[in-house]
Amino acid sequence: MHDKRMRSAGEIAFNGGMFVLSLVLLVAAYAISGFESLSSPGALPMAVALAMVVSSGLILLDNVRNSRRDGTRFIRDILPPAVIVMMLFVAGYAVLLVPLGFLPTSLLFLALSIIYLRRGGIAYALTVSLVALLLVYVVFRLVFTVLMPAGIVPEAEILAAIGRMFGGAE
Amino acid sequence: MEALGYFLTPWLDIKLLFLVAAGTFAGVYVGAIPGLSVTMAVSILIGFTFTWDVYPALCLMVGIFMGGVYGGSRTAILLNIPGAPSAIATAMDGYPLAQKGLAGEAIGISTVMSFVGGLIGIAVLALAAPTVSDFALTFQPRDFMLLAVLGILLVGSLSGESLVKGIFAGAMGLLIGTVGMDPLTAEERFTFGFTQLWGGISFIAVMIGMFGVSEALAQLHHVDKTAVKQTISRIVPSFASVRKYLPLSLQTSSIGVIIGALPGTGGDIAALMAYDHAKRVTKNPEVPFGQGAKEGLVAPETANNAAVGGAFIPMLTLGIPGDAVTAIMIGALYIHGLNPGPMLMIDQPQMFWFITGALALANIFMLIFGLTGIRLFTKIVEMPRTVLIPLILLLSIVGAYAVNNAITDVYWMLAFGVLGYFMKSYGYQLGPVILGVILSRLLDENWRRAIISDQGSLVSLFKGMLTSPLSLVLLAMVVMIFVSQTPIWKRWRNKAGLPASGGDHNAPGSGA
Repeated sequence: MHDKRMRSAGEIAFNGGMFVLSLVLLVAAYAISGFESLSSPGALPMAVALAMVVSSGLILLDNVRNSRRDGTRFIRDILPPAVIVMMLFVAGYAVLLVPLGFLPTSLLFLALSIIYLRRGGIAYALTVSLVALLLVYVVFRLVFTVLMPAGIVPEAEILAAIGRMFGGAE
Repeated sequence: MEALGYFLTPWLDIKLLFLVAAGTFAGVYVGAIPGLSVTMAVSILIGFTFTWDVYPALCLMVGIFMGGVYGGSRTAILLNIPGAPSAIATAMDGYPLAQKGLAGEAIGISTVMSFVGGLIGIAVLALAAPTVSDFALTFQPRDFMLLAVLGILLVGSLSGESLVKGIFAGAMGLLIGTVGMDPLTAEERFTFGFTQLWGGISFIAVMIGMFGVSEALAQLHHVDKTAVKQTISRIVPSFASVRKYLPLSLQTSSIGVIIGALPGTGGDIAALMAYDHAKRVTKNPEVPFGQGAKEGLVAPETANNAAVGGAFIPMLTLGIPGDAVTAIMIGALYIHGLNPGPMLMIDQPQMFWFITGALALANIFMLIFGLTGIRLFTKIVEMPRTVLIPLILLLSIVGAYAVNNAITDVYWMLAFGVLGYFMKSYGYQLGPVILGVILSRLLDENWRRAIISDQGSLVSLFKGMLTSPLSLVLLAMVVMIFVSQTPIWKRWRNKAGLPASGGDHNAPGSGA
């Protein structure tokens, strides 16, 4: 619809990457069952991979032909440091989740990201993270009974102890 | 009578009643907070309600859906930021009203009208779905195949900046859906030798990545924006004003139901078309459109809530989602072992009536929560994004992890989050990806059934398509979408002076 759209920073690289990915997937789709029959398991994968190759090719072609650039800069407008840092935080969270456990990892993640995004305010960040984590824990662990890795926190023992505290009179 | 019993199940069970109420309440706020979207909330919730029974899980999700569609209008009125794509049209006259200090009145009338629209949508769902479902039993595999293609193409062409990008996104989703063991022959597809990929990629990880993580990352661009405070006067509208707009609301509700029921089109398009309709039929508005005409508020609000009921028709009877949110709802039904499609009404009619009952109940709760608690509302909407974004990311991780208790799913989610972020940045729409993932199995199975029943011959498949009226109509629609993108057609349309379809879908917080 917007034929005269200008190209943003990094757009050719991204669309080129998508095109290459589509080609790789097309080859992989062919490898499933080749041109054996129209009802083979590889038929739909090949058709959609071909659609991806053609559409990404057209997008890329449009990009290359359309040489006008808008004023965006990659590191300022497309992938600012805040986004990179948060991506890394999430990746770090995923790495630490199993060995360290849900509670410490989440607290660390929330506090660090709030400190980073607000540029300071450690006491505020810690308080907010603790309250938020408590809420998340109560709602999701206890109400939704989602099982998260306990890690280094003896969660089951603590829960049992709390249970004894309230039910201990009997 | 049996149907009535199922319909009333969520009304009579105190736990289910509470869950619908809680879901609707949460939905209103999720829809209202810019940066949180219904798609995001429902996809994350699938992860959390995975271990639940199907009834309570459905109650919660139906509530969130209904509340979320309405909630988007609040921020559209108060802040000129549509909380959801379906509220884009609401902002056009809602915000001018708020600027005049009439925010309370605007919220009141939009709440009551959303209720009216929602009610009509549900009524049509209850009346039409059994018929559609009967009709759908006569569908051939090729018809389902065409419907699936049509749905993806419609979402791709109506919501994105170009059809080509929509096709790419849809094809990508379809391909993601085929990863793993082929359900018919157990051959490996796109596993690249990894046994971990045999089970396929968890579509919940894809959904949460695309709608939770990528949205949260995109929100980081506006982390410093703060909300504007509004004073709110009286909310509950007078009976006279409700009666005045009732005729218009009936018309726009019908538009909403019909647009919602078409595969591939949802509340956002319904709202824009209803707005357009109101502009044409209102001869002498008290205030011009765009400057705070109440008609301009009534039309999109009735239409987008009526579209909810409409969207459930193809979703429950055909298994074809109308937009990203219904695609996710279908995903939720799959997870709970239900198979939306023409057989649902026959095998499990109780499920259909239960969902309809929950929708009706959610609609009532929406009215209650919409007309109360405005003070709490303004507090929550002012929640700083510096806290909100880390929380969304945390919930996304927990949601993705919870489904299979697998850390691999978290990595998938992150990968699709990053991919989705870049796709968004470069003008791709994410809705078709999710539609593709959900429809992949249906398309694959029906394609193979169709081609096998025609002895593997493409020629006789086409012959079949051209001789059956239904297939022909569907095929014509698919072809039409391609034709409408060609330069010749565009020139012809410009000459005829027809308005361009679609609208500005790049509003912040738009989940789809």
